[in-house]
Amino acid sequence: MKAWRSVVLVVASLLASSVASTGALAQGSIKIGILTVQTGPARPIGDDIVAGIQTATQMFGPVLGRPVELVVEDSLFNPQNSVTKATKLVQQNQVAGILGTSTIETFALLPVADRLGVPIVTSNSGSAAITREKCSKWVFRTNAEDHMSIYSLQHLIAQTPRLQNAKWFTLGHDYPWSRLVAGSVKEVKGLAYVGETFAPLDTTDWAPFIARARSAGATAVIMPVTLGTPLLQFIQQANEFGLTKEAVLVSPIGLPDWLVAKLGAVSTSVVSAGSWAAWRYEESDSTTKAFNEAFYKQHGRVAGMQSLQSASAALMLYSAMNKAGSIDPAAVVKALETIEVQTPVGPLKFQPGGRQALVPLFMGPYEAVNPPRYGAQYAQRAEVFPATKSLPKSASDLGCKL
Amino acid sequence: MDLNFLLSNALNGVVYGAFLLLTSLGLSLVFGLGRVVNFAHGALYALGGYAVIATMKWAGVGYWTALLVAPLIVVPIAIVIERATIYPIRSRSDIYTLLVTFGVSFVLIGAIEYVWGTGTTLLKTPAPFQGTVEVFGNQYPIYRLFAAGVSLLVSGGVFAFIQWTPIGLRIRAITDDPGMAEALGVHTKWLLTIVFGAAAGLAAFAGALGAPIFAVHPEMGMGILLDSFLAVILGGLGNLPGSAIGAMVVALTKSIGGGYIADWSVALLFGVVGITLIFRPTGVFGRGRVA
Repeated sequence: MKAWRSVVLVVASLLASSVASTGALAQGSIKIGILTVQTGPARPIGDDIVAGIQTATQMFGPVLGRPVELVVEDSLFNPQNSVTKATKLVQQNQVAGILGTSTIETFALLPVADRLGVPIVTSNSGSAAITREKCSKWVFRTNAEDHMSIYSLQHLIAQTPRLQNAKWFTLGHDYPWSRLVAGSVKEVKGLAYVGETFAPLDTTDWAPFIARARSAGATAVIMPVTLGTPLLQFIQQANEFGLTKEAVLVSPIGLPDWLVAKLGAVSTSVVSAGSWAAWRYEESDSTTKAFNEAFYKQHGRVAGMQSLQSASAALMLYSAMNKAGSIDPAAVVKALETIEVQTPVGPLKFQPGGRQALVPLFMGPYEAVNPPRYGAQYAQRAEVFPATKSLPKSASDLGCKL
Repeated sequence: MDLNFLLSNALNGVVYGAFLLLTSLGLSLVFGLGRVVNFAHGALYALGGYAVIATMKWAGVGYWTALLVAPLIVVPIAIVIERATIYPIRSRSDIYTLLVTFGVSFVLIGAIEYVWGTGTTLLKTPAPFQGTVEVFGNQYPIYRLFAAGVSLLVSGGVFAFIQWTPIGLRIRAITDDPGMAEALGVHTKWLLTIVFGAAAGLAAFAGALGAPIFAVHPEMGMGILLDSFLAVILGGLGNLPGSAIGAMVVALTKSIGGGYIADWSVALLFGVVGITLIFRPTGVFGRGRVA
């Protein structure tokens, strides 16, 4: 009987310690939500975003001594679904922060950010309003906003005689950003601006719009076209029609690297006026190089533009948690306001009194990489355009009232 | 904007119209024969593009062989779809088949994404049609001209088949009066299955032929499906000559409109269709006659 009692006691204590340790592990991990597109033609963008955060998480190691667990939710690039999934991440998964959002998701989350009550660090949102008139205590941005890209575009034109002497034409999608880009080119003094055309968002055949650019005699075509399949189709068809022989194609915010790989040699007809990230920044930055190597080891491909951006956002968030000494949302937000972190897009900190990171842009042409690196045969040459030149005003002057 | 610009855009319109013709004829035939509004037509078009890629990759053949094989892969798939999903509900109202084909479309796109992923694939312009040729003072891609020519030839073949063969006669009979045709011994249900397969073959051929121009991705059929429906509605549902003219009107409106008033080109297209339907509610050529 005594022996039985002992066995029961040992088993019971083993069970109890097992349950306790499982509980400790579950409590021990810090959950971070990734809200990005995981279906449809924009999925490669979402995949790059997730991959970048995965590598950054692995490189950073434990946060506050606890492992980080990533919870990925598909936004479907749909505002209503984004709110639903973000609510699920916060209430059900109890994430300590949200990463990975692009403009559509970020705009959807802005009105509910107070209710969500966790820091959101976006890395792929262009619209300036997010950190200007619509800025929120909870929403930070690590990529450059649209107006910053405009400064780098104007700088690129000013320093490139070929572009200065070109006949400029804007060929983009029919949405506000295209008009902003067109307006910024027109602002450059002494530039020959020969026309513009804005195609419907569902355009698959770019022939009429290419014909318009050629008819205007364009020798530089700036292309504010949605990243992804539409941009791929446009550049391919521009090449098919021989437009790339007559004109240089200028991308206002650069090309994702998966798109560069698909375009191959055709990508060399493109110049980026201000990419949000560029893996060849590694030639002058050891943090970028270390990230690129870790990314290649983990994913077997080159770290694309969105991967570098999302990784930088993740590093900012994790560093803020460490600095805050907890995952308390208010404390992390406060820490985010003051930290400075070495990231794959350079040293980052947020604008005082605002939510926009002082992040550089990367200008330069796409060219062959000899010998290929990380499996990439073509990539953008990366010339840094610092935030001091692209974000000259203070946050409050830009309309951000927190 | 000079005359050459107008003519270049008109040429673009004719080229796109030729593709649209292939897809619109299939839609129109299937509706004319079985009153089936086939929302899966766009997905079958996409399947054609992927069939080319699969054939090139897995059989190791060139584009031209793959172009011919692609419809042969898609036709049996379409026949199975028709027998499994449309055939059992043939006697019900049109809305049932509309909903079923809508669902089939999602299943097909999902299957494509499962097998090939969601990315976009570019195909190189096949030899010997690379490069451009000068047309109306502008460089124009040779392959586009070739593809448009082939599309027009195939469409002409479809018209000839409908007009001058015994099966074509049966198709016209069913479209005119299904009850009378059946009473006279025409097996309408099997004929619809065959025509559904053939229409899918036309869509797949268009998808395969257009792959080097428009790129291949799972949702590539959505845009052309919408344009095809506009063409079919404009010409008259089930009316083949009407669909052919509708395809050209839609394509020319998009192309010339895109050239001159890009940001209003979609409004222009829907305006043209809307105004036409106000005055001719059953389309320009009326409903239900294939020839």
